[in-house]
Amino acid sequence: MFFVEIYINIETICVINTQGVHMPKHIASGLKYLAAVELTRDGYSQKKISKMLNIDRSTLSHYLHGRNLSLSSIEIAELIKEFTPKDFLVLTDAVIEDKEATKTIVKTCLIKKFKVNVLDTCIGCGVCVETCLIDAIVLDNLKAQIDPELCCGCLMCEDKCPTNSIKIWEE
Amino acid sequence: MELKVNQDNCLGCGNCVVACPVNVSLRPEVSGGHGPKSEEVIMMVENGVIKLFSEDKCQKCGTCQLFCPTDAIWLE
Amino acid sequence: MATNTKETKVKDFNIERSAGEQRKLSYKDETCIGCGICEQICPVEAIELGPIGAIVRTGSDEAKICIDEEKCVLCGMCSVGCPVNALDLEIEGKPIREIETYPRLISSAEISDEDCVYCRACERICPQDAVTVARVLPDRSKLVTGEIDIDKEKCIDCGICEEMCPADAITIEELGPNEFDISVDEDKCVYCLVCKRACPEDAITAACRGCSYGEYEINPEDSEIQGKAVIDEEECVRCGWCEEVCPKDAVTVVKPFKGELEVDLEKCETCGACIDICPCEVLSFPKPSKPGEIGEKVEKNEEMCIYCGACEKVCPNEAITVKRTGINYTPTKSKSWQKRLESLKT
Repeated sequence: MFFVEIYINIETICVINTQGVHMPKHIASGLKYLAAVELTRDGYSQKKISKMLNIDRSTLSHYLHGRNLSLSSIEIAELIKEFTPKDFLVLTDAVIEDKEATKTIVKTCLIKKFKVNVLDTCIGCGVCVETCLIDAIVLDNLKAQIDPELCCGCLMCEDKCPTNSIKIWEE
Repeated sequence: MELKVNQDNCLGCGNCVVACPVNVSLRPEVSGGHGPKSEEVIMMVENGVIKLFSEDKCQKCGTCQLFCPTDAIWLE
Repeated sequence: MATNTKETKVKDFNIERSAGEQRKLSYKDETCIGCGICEQICPVEAIELGPIGAIVRTGSDEAKICIDEEKCVLCGMCSVGCPVNALDLEIEGKPIREIETYPRLISSAEISDEDCVYCRACERICPQDAVTVARVLPDRSKLVTGEIDIDKEKCIDCGICEEMCPADAITIEELGPNEFDISVDEDKCVYCLVCKRACPEDAITAACRGCSYGEYEINPEDSEIQGKAVIDEEECVRCGWCEEVCPKDAVTVVKPFKGELEVDLEKCETCGACIDICPCEVLSFPKPSKPGEIGEKVEKNEEMCIYCGACEKVCPNEAITVKRTGINYTPTKSKSWQKRLESLKT
């Protein structure tokens, strides 16, 4: 086990462990690697995976063959995967800088499933739609609709809802 | 917004005291032009000039300001 | 995560949220009637009604309502509840009254072009100056028929006919020393025959064919009055005075609220704040019918009341009660919106 500190501020994100400072791009690579491994197991082609994760095919190929990626990057990524869904999502979103790739990584790496209920007290204000980092929420007839397949359980929408109309819990 | 007075401008005419609907409902003798019998009113004339007493009762209807001939009482 | 921005211009303001979807709530203070319905319907308590009595009667710089942009979630309920559209929510530039999923108060004021005769009674009576009546009058020369001739041999240029003519149709022109020319403009002449009767020399022959033979020469189409009566949607508060005074029943006003208005004359101290705040001129001090008569303190014309409740809010002695017993709105599937609209009933 190694000691890890995480500093997150507006300008920089870096992860420090006993083996030195990791820049965001290393963490990003680690996360993309983990997702790529999962997706390969799920039967996706390399062509598809490179699109979903927004990495070029040769880089992807190197990763999957254990090249161009330090072990510690992978270790960091494994660690981040164990964070609460909210922390995992926020950190991934911050280092990946690509909405679609973030969505793929979160959906692939988070194995927890969540149940969602939007109460009739929902007023359709749209704050949850703006809050959701993975676009799991839309408004329909002035009521929020949350896709439980996409939902990663970060609970940020539940926190922000002005009428406390969102209930999300682990299946 | 709150009730303000400028005693230098005040003529002591008592228009505001008589016109104030809260004053009149608290002390009915005021509507006849008499001075109020107690200090539970919002304002009254004392020593020839207007003085605020129970301003927390003011409902900010603006009547006193409308009736004052010299801008001695107003809401701001 | 988007935060709201507020832009203020004098007493008006806009609150905007521009993350994925752009939402903008705009407020126009001049349109606002100070009813406080927005404050009542807001689900997050972001709106506060100011001291409207003082604001309206003393020309204050303060806006009638204040919205905390940190609490506001731009849901649009205030915009839908506002009976005079002083608050307007736009989503991606489109007002929510044009978006089907949002309910709307059912409220309208229409003047039927077919029945309107452009008498302007509505324009005169409207307490909000919301009505404009434009009219084009018929050509007078087409509504009269007759003949007129001045015998220039007999005429002595005395000018009496010119002075007496009510239509200024006769002109005497000086051409030289003691030389005149007299003419009648038949477009102006109405064949009233006053000149003929007044002429001391009987120099004028004239006849009104309409009087002598009837009106068969006059084309009824020529006597039609053209016009247009328009109600400004931004100013109209649906009081219904126009409908009340229209002699042709050409106006139809649909009000969004049904209700009851009661004034407790025991508590009233005739400060006049309710009279000044009412957008519909429902309330007034009664005019005595003879000197020295003391009437009721305050009179009401409840037919013109829209049950906005501004009078109740402004009364310093709580002498007024406004009950809303019915809210008229277009159907919506949202239970929370139905609930909040129904909560406007008192």
